[in-house]
Amino acid sequence: MKKYIVKRSIQSLITIWIVIFVVFMLLRLMPTSGYFTRDDYLTMTEEMRQAYLKSIGVLDPPLTQFKNFVINLFRGDLGRSITVYPKLSITTILKEKIGYSAAFGFASIVISMGIGIPMGILMARYKGKLIDDLGTFYSVIVRAVPSLIYLFLFQVWVSKIFGLPMLFYKNRPESWILPAISMSLSSIAWYAIWLRRFMVDEANRDYIKFAQAKGLSESYVMKNHVLRNAFVPIAIGIPSDLLLIISGSLIIENLYSIPGMGGLLIDSIKQMDNNLVQALVLIYSVLSVLGVFLGDLLIVLVDPRIRLTESED
Amino acid sequence: MDKMYYNGIELTDDLFDKIPLDEHLSEESGYSNYSYWRSTFRTFFKSKLSIFLVVVILALSLFSFLYPVFSSTDPQQITLDVDKWNMGPNSENWFGTDGLGRDIWARTWYGTRNSLLLALVIAVIEVGVGSIIGAIWGYVRKMDRFMIELYNIITNIPSTVYLILLSYILEPSFTTIVIALASSGWIVEAKFMRNKVLSLRESEYNIASQCLGTPLRRVVSKNIIPHLISLIIMEAALTVPYSIGSEVFLGFIGLGLPLDTVTLGNMVNQGRANFMLYPYQMLYPTIVLCIITISFYIVGNKFADASDPKNHV
Amino acid sequence: MDTKILEAKNIVIKFNLRGKILTAVRNSSLDLYKGETLAIVGESGSGKSVFTKSFVGMLDKNGWIDEGELLYDGKDLAKFKTEKEWLSIRGKRIAMVFQDPMTSLNPLKTIGEQIREVITWHRNTPKDEAKKEAIEILKMVGIDDAEKRFKQYPHEFSGGMRQRVVIATAIACRPDILICDEPTTALDVTIQAQILKLIKDLQKELNMTVIYITHDLGVVANVADRVAVMYAGQIVEYGLSNEIFKDPKHPYTKALLLSLPQLGLKGEDLFYIKGTPPNLYREIKGDAFALRNPHALKIDTMYEPPFFKVSETHYAKTWLLHEKANDNLVVEKLEHNGKQKKELNKYNEKKEVLVSLRNVTVKFKLDGKQFKAVEDVSFDIYKGETFSLVGESGSGKTTIGRAIMKIHPVSEGEIYFKDKLISKKLKKDDMKAFRQSVQMIFQDPMASLNERAKVDYIVSEGLYNFKLYNDEEDRKRKVEKAMEEVGLLKDFLTRFPHEFSGGQRQRIGIARALVMEPEFIIADEPISALDVSIRAQIINLLNKLKDEKDLTYLFIAHDLSVVKFISDRIAVIYKGHIVELADSDELFENPLHPYTKSLLSAVPIPDPDLEKNKKILIYNPKIHDYSINKPKWTEIKKGHFIWANDKEIDQYKVELDRNQYDKEKN
Repeated sequence: MKKYIVKRSIQSLITIWIVIFVVFMLLRLMPTSGYFTRDDYLTMTEEMRQAYLKSIGVLDPPLTQFKNFVINLFRGDLGRSITVYPKLSITTILKEKIGYSAAFGFASIVISMGIGIPMGILMARYKGKLIDDLGTFYSVIVRAVPSLIYLFLFQVWVSKIFGLPMLFYKNRPESWILPAISMSLSSIAWYAIWLRRFMVDEANRDYIKFAQAKGLSESYVMKNHVLRNAFVPIAIGIPSDLLLIISGSLIIENLYSIPGMGGLLIDSIKQMDNNLVQALVLIYSVLSVLGVFLGDLLIVLVDPRIRLTESED
Repeated sequence: MDKMYYNGIELTDDLFDKIPLDEHLSEESGYSNYSYWRSTFRTFFKSKLSIFLVVVILALSLFSFLYPVFSSTDPQQITLDVDKWNMGPNSENWFGTDGLGRDIWARTWYGTRNSLLLALVIAVIEVGVGSIIGAIWGYVRKMDRFMIELYNIITNIPSTVYLILLSYILEPSFTTIVIALASSGWIVEAKFMRNKVLSLRESEYNIASQCLGTPLRRVVSKNIIPHLISLIIMEAALTVPYSIGSEVFLGFIGLGLPLDTVTLGNMVNQGRANFMLYPYQMLYPTIVLCIITISFYIVGNKFADASDPKNHV
Repeated sequence: MDTKILEAKNIVIKFNLRGKILTAVRNSSLDLYKGETLAIVGESGSGKSVFTKSFVGMLDKNGWIDEGELLYDGKDLAKFKTEKEWLSIRGKRIAMVFQDPMTSLNPLKTIGEQIREVITWHRNTPKDEAKKEAIEILKMVGIDDAEKRFKQYPHEFSGGMRQRVVIATAIACRPDILICDEPTTALDVTIQAQILKLIKDLQKELNMTVIYITHDLGVVANVADRVAVMYAGQIVEYGLSNEIFKDPKHPYTKALLLSLPQLGLKGEDLFYIKGTPPNLYREIKGDAFALRNPHALKIDTMYEPPFFKVSETHYAKTWLLHEKANDNLVVEKLEHNGKQKKELNKYNEKKEVLVSLRNVTVKFKLDGKQFKAVEDVSFDIYKGETFSLVGESGSGKTTIGRAIMKIHPVSEGEIYFKDKLISKKLKKDDMKAFRQSVQMIFQDPMASLNERAKVDYIVSEGLYNFKLYNDEEDRKRKVEKAMEEVGLLKDFLTRFPHEFSGGQRQRIGIARALVMEPEFIIADEPISALDVSIRAQIINLLNKLKDEKDLTYLFIAHDLSVVKFISDRIAVIYKGHIVELADSDELFENPLHPYTKSLLSAVPIPDPDLEKNKKILIYNPKIHDYSINKPKWTEIKKGHFIWANDKEIDQYKVELDRNQYDKEKN
């Protein structure tokens, strides 16, 4: 088991660095105008621009830039924002934003697991019945319709029906409800659909037939064998979900004007803030690699086959 | 001798004559009538919903591609006549007009055509390239290590972030969106095909081909691709809603197609801005868009179910 | 033994499959007596499994009991509708053991938990007590160190051990009836014998009634008090085990017994049943077996026969037993008495080496770890002989075949074909010649043909690859000839593989090899996936082709009984090492290596008297002490090789002399 964890950790570490490197190199292709505030860009002559670019080091060979970036990274310095929050250190900006995204993300995970998992179980248990059809209908809508469309319509219509505020206000708790729910809309469907599929797959296995032949009732087999086994792949995705909540939802934070990380990425793109784009993109990528890694560690806990085959040698 | 009876039938002597063995009949009797494709289509078309949606897709595509032929309305025609701006649906402009007096009905069909075209190009490239590389990847062991690493890197960067990044770096255009979507999508398709091919590769009929010295080219075309066709159709169908959704999303964050290109995505995003005052400007194109994405999504999934031999019951 | 415990009356079971109704069991009746062991024998698709599944209400969702009664304990199980009704019977009174122990246990739960839950469920026993009981049961099925094993997961058990756990689960509630659905088919022969013995012991201890479902007549002879034979959804004959084996009356039962390779004589064709079993989608008129019965009567095609009484306990459903049919009753004799064995020492005269392996080792990488699938193997195959390679699953026998085929690369050592080194990269022309002269036949006819290609392409594939034809007409002619040689009609060429039965598909596979006009054919378990009645067909075909075309075979098998009939020489392989190699007769007369002896002792014999008294030897590799004295490949007697160290060789020599002495004395 230890061997597996060590091996997997080293692998993830390598992947993280490759991802950072690749993304960093891709970012060298960013339009150079993104290193200037709008006013500066317009007032400067081409020579002045070049001189400025040279002074901040973006004309250095990419590898040198990467080296400098990494050195700064270890000092906890991600650079400074250019246009969105001029001259402000990016780490400072992030510290403030992460709280909002994490709070909403956490709320949405609780809501979506709380609804999605029972929904998936019911759909598998009553496969082909009304409840399965309703669940399927819901998930088809959520998965096939572009999320922007249903999130926007949800915001507009539901806020009108229940008289809730359409935008987020820090000190009005009722304004937190809509974004938290809308953030869960698609993940409810995600949990329900996959749990249902895994359960249906499990139910066809020989050992489930054998468990039934033992005379255990269908509901007992469902609960103690089918659900238990089908939950394993779902559980593996949970660390990833937990980690990525920090990054917030791009669309929702923008729609409701939540001052979180997701909205920040969109702002930084719209205002062409190269440094901020770079920092955010890298953070998102690292979080995603970490999530996969933690999921793989979790397998060790939930699946005895991996735990033990590895310990044997 | 007494007459003998069995169940009221007289058993005459000649009934006990020997009859010759018919070799042909004895060989034929085990004949099974199962055919993969017949069963797949039978299962698929058993569902009335599938038939209906296939008809819907065909009708919408045909209509949008033929629309320019029998209509002379120019979707870009703006008018300076203020009365003709933001007109609600009427007998002349069935879906009304937008803020510049352009006919939304005409724009919707031009947009449908462009969006379908975009989705189709992406589907063909993504699934086409993905299947071919996937088939080779699964078959050539030496590639595996490299490809798996590449897959890990590409998929570890969240697809939205990747999409944003590429669109940010490149100029917004039709090609950019195709490149952005297809360049991350192909490897997911390839991995999917590779897993399928890996299981096919070890099956005895492929070993048999190896024993007969069949060249890779023919192994891929005769032994592998025919087994993947149903997967290819399904994946291509499912790529369509994803591509259309991504186009809407990119438009939302300001990285979509240039605003003068008529696509459903652009129309939805433009309509959203005026939604409070003129909801129809967003709703009509949205309805058409949703019909398309939902139809493709369901058809893809239904076909996936139908093509699984387990469901040929 | 006179109390009826279960009574099935006129059971009809139907399935709805792809929009059509299939009658899987047609009007079958069966009495089960308390304490007996009944074996239901039949081929795949005969309905034997479906029939018994209906006793516990475990039919698949698209199947149902259409007619008939199932009387057990004063109730008619066929009328059961709700799950609740079944739960009082299933697992508690009537339990079931499935075929494949590898998939019967939940991989994510400890085996102890899987036994304990049954006890708690059916008897409301508190957890602690149920755990103690479960441990007792584990001990009962022969699992050592049960307390520790209780907490382990299925993947920590070998196949045989898992089947013990499955049996433990099934008997946890001390059922009246235990249904074993092919309980040993997925296991190696030596393990198989142990499991059969375990079930027998448990039956005595717990006073159970046992139903075996099997296609293996050896198993039947070993365990059964009574036998019922099923064909095309019907029981066609039943009687005491001895009656069925010694005096079968139904032509199908007779043919089944006659076609067993164990009974064959070298150099003679095996008896075989022509054709394939009928299609159950269609309504069957008359006797279902008539189409394949060379002695069929006119009435067989018109009316379904009733059961005719042979003795108080023995009944058969065939018109041939009708008094009017007596004149036409042709009886095949069960023994080939008086027939002289043909001398088949053709290969001895020439002794020309065709294939030669020298110290071959094949390594594999599995999850980054290397292991040797085959280690230091050397042998020669002479032109014109049938050389058999026998071993259990995982022994490396298939790997050797595939290494010769150049599918697996050889890690060390050399392989020669016609004195040419082939275990290296070959030039294009040499490769072409090699691919043409060496061909392979595969185990699973369902997997070895490309489902999406027509038979015409499948058979022509090799011809296309090397352009071995002049023009299209020439190719057609060659393909048709190959089809004819394997006894298939040329109309079949335009069909797809799914339209054929297992035996027919296997013959297509043979045609694919034949069309290349090979000299050497590797047959990798070519009959083990086939039904008993089809096996003889394929063996005869292979033998016929060998004679006609002067072929050499490498025959890979897991079962010595099949091999005895066809091979000139046999090599026994265990965990990557060939442990013994000798002429077929020599190996059966003077087996020396303890593993060979254990394999021989486990061979099922289709004779209840012999089978019930046989002793099984269990091979324990630990008896070899190779720490100081290393084993080597030694020719202990002319043509008889063995893997042993010096000390063992001395012992074996003594044994050989003693055998010789015993033989001459008699």
